[in-house]
Amino acid sequence: MLKFDMENFIALSLSSKKALHVAKMSVALPVNILILGEIGVGKKTLAQEILQNSQSYEATEIEKLILNKQIDIQSFKSLILYNIDALINKKQFFENLKTLRIIATASQNYKDDLNTFPIKIRLEPLSERKEDLEELISIYIKEANKIYYSNKTAHDVEIDISKNGISLKQSIYKSILLSSITKNDIMDILYKYFISDLKSRDRSYKDLLDIFEIPLLKAFKERYKSQVQMANHLCINRMTLRKKLNSYYKVKKNV
Amino acid sequence: MYSDSFYKAFIHESINPFILFNNEGKLIDFNNEAEILFNSVSPKEIFELTLNHSPHNFGFERKYINLKYAKMKYYALLVGYIDDEHIAIELYKQINIEKEIAKIQDAQLTNIFSLIDISKNTNFDFTKTTITEEYDTSIPEIRVNINNFLLTLNECFKLFKESKKVKIAVHVKVGEYEVIDDKKHSIASIRCKADTLIEASQELERQALKSHINVFEVNGYIKLEFPIII
Repeated sequence: MLKFDMENFIALSLSSKKALHVAKMSVALPVNILILGEIGVGKKTLAQEILQNSQSYEATEIEKLILNKQIDIQSFKSLILYNIDALINKKQFFENLKTLRIIATASQNYKDDLNTFPIKIRLEPLSERKEDLEELISIYIKEANKIYYSNKTAHDVEIDISKNGISLKQSIYKSILLSSITKNDIMDILYKYFISDLKSRDRSYKDLLDIFEIPLLKAFKERYKSQVQMANHLCINRMTLRKKLNSYYKVKKNV
Repeated sequence: MYSDSFYKAFIHESINPFILFNNEGKLIDFNNEAEILFNSVSPKEIFELTLNHSPHNFGFERKYINLKYAKMKYYALLVGYIDDEHIAIELYKQINIEKEIAKIQDAQLTNIFSLIDISKNTNFDFTKTTITEEYDTSIPEIRVNINNFLLTLNECFKLFKESKKVKIAVHVKVGEYEVIDDKKHSIASIRCKADTLIEASQELERQALKSHINVFEVNGYIKLEFPIII
């Protein structure tokens, strides 16, 4: 049964409400629809909401299959195609698909110079959709809390929306995962890392010390600010501390 | 020897509008095509055009200039006078040899207000443009080629993208009909007016032609007219 509520697509901001409105009105029309936007803004989700029960492919995959005569394109009534920007021969491709209804996604700068898509829906980046962003943060935190048995809130997580929903989800899961890690977990992770690393190369104690020292020094610097305080709390002398900070700063520049 | 009445009858049958004025701009004579032309432009405006392109002395002057009045296009004009009492102008009509007309069987029954809404939402940034609507909702679902109709609307609304205020009015044209396949159909009109003057683009005209839509540019606003086929 077709669902017209499209509840998988988060639309609380004005621009996404507008996009959803157009999508709902276009569902029953026998025309092609193009959804444009940056990576991670929800293009695939919206495409799948518009054309439910339809097969989806990367556009280049279909292009290759048509070229190699490995697909009978006329057996389809409709298709969802992702990333049509990557097509090699747009004109020929859409000529082959002219009897099908297509819902396609593309980057925001894609030019539909062949007028293949009479309906174009633009999805703004999450940075322009405050209400959607807040809702997605809430959803991902809830999901991650459930998986990692934690109860973190938005204040506890570092978010990254450089790739919109994709990086947002990754950063929230990572934040919550890291905050739920115990000392034993860290030791376990390090053990697995060392075992793997030692398989490929010879290592000495000195080679691997930075794994422990860099995060340690970073945390102490954050906590105590001055080198005097740091040295005092680490129970090492200031010269040793300075030597370590200088050596790691030259290599990593993050201490 | 042919009589003057033969020449006159010949001119009356020409597809090029012919108008004869007196020296004060009053209409003395005009042919059938000129009468149709006067639906879109006033005789006063044609008289001004005549004076602007008249030869300096008695005689005739032909100029190749592009003119457009509603949907009629002209590629040249001929102005002539042989005394001080009269002056005449003939406009050379441009004919479209090829005309892609959407067949009715390529059309689907649809609510045009939904199509306008979709095109409006995809072409305008409502934070920059305020749109007011005046719809005659008695227009029922009609048969159009949805794909081409949307593409035409897109080309039309693209012209108004930078306008701050746009008014979209949809009405049935009272008393006017279009005959298609021996059937009479009422005509619907979508009028788009902005706070600035808008000119129709070639892309709009090209796309409209495919959709059996006539484009008019009147006093800086755009009008799309199409038959109501049920």
